[in-house]
Amino acid sequence: MRNKVRSKVTINTSSTADIAFLLLVFFLVATTIVQYKGLSLQLPPEKKEDLRVKIKDRNLFKVLINSQDEFLIQNEVRTDLVGLRSEVKAFVLNESNSPFLAESSEKAIISLKTNRGTHYGKFIEVLDELKGAYYEVYAERADLSVTEFLSLDLTDEIESGIYRDSKNGLPMNISIAEPN
Amino acid sequence: MKLFKSKSDCETEISTSALPDIVFLLLFFFMVSSTIREDNQDLVTQIPKANFSTKASEKSLVKELIVGFPISNDRSEPQISTGSRIINSENLVQWVEEERNTLPESQKNKMIVLIKADENIEMGLIGDIQEQLRKANARKVIYRALDKL
Repeated sequence: MRNKVRSKVTINTSSTADIAFLLLVFFLVATTIVQYKGLSLQLPPEKKEDLRVKIKDRNLFKVLINSQDEFLIQNEVRTDLVGLRSEVKAFVLNESNSPFLAESSEKAIISLKTNRGTHYGKFIEVLDELKGAYYEVYAERADLSVTEFLSLDLTDEIESGIYRDSKNGLPMNISIAEPN
Repeated sequence: MKLFKSKSDCETEISTSALPDIVFLLLFFFMVSSTIREDNQDLVTQIPKANFSTKASEKSLVKELIVGFPISNDRSEPQISTGSRIINSENLVQWVEEERNTLPESQKNKMIVLIKADENIEMGLIGDIQEQLRKANARKVIYRALDKL
């Protein structure tokens, strides 16, 4: 048996483009390219028993925000955050070996405490300044600008090496106390 | 005398047979690189701005929590949403467990919780969330922040 007619039959495919465009437009509209950017933080483990660690007062940089969104920084009432970043840097590095600043940058702890009524926006503002202070120090050590430092690709071996080297001996000890 | 005339009289046509292929290529790119938006838009959030935000190391590890004010109510009580449903802060431990089970075995303890909260939320609620996350041992968090200009 064999085909009797051998005429050339083609299917018209000019509308496939239209169909594909339709699908494309659907996906363009229905999707978001999600961006996971923000301030990262490691929370402390759950407290099982009352574990108290003695921390020398000079190693602790205290920032408090009350329910009226006012700041108490190192027992000093403030209304704005001007100069906080450089103060934190001076505190952590303590280049002048002052007895009022941190013993060493490894021991320095920044404590951020909020009230239950504090607004989240203010909390982020302060946390941003605190993290910024550390990032500026790291960037300086790595001889990069802050934006360059923040965009280091940690999956890349060389770049993550730079990242780790600049953080070496200078952990970002930011402690978030439970709001009261 | 006719100076110019068409040199050939064959029909010229641009072939469009490759067009569907190109469009399909684009289509597949978008299908692969994106996730279908599933968050219910019941909560409004005005995300705070920050200068020093960093990117999450691996996107597949990130699970999102939205904390905001319901649209229907006139800015009364803030609520927590997982993207698909509204939950109480007491149920967060269970939510973390559920989300953790979607991750491969080797990465279960590396889960990152992204908190996308409105800047007018009071810290009490955020503190409650943090306490629950600590209880569930999901201690890596990212506070979503937009870039300052």
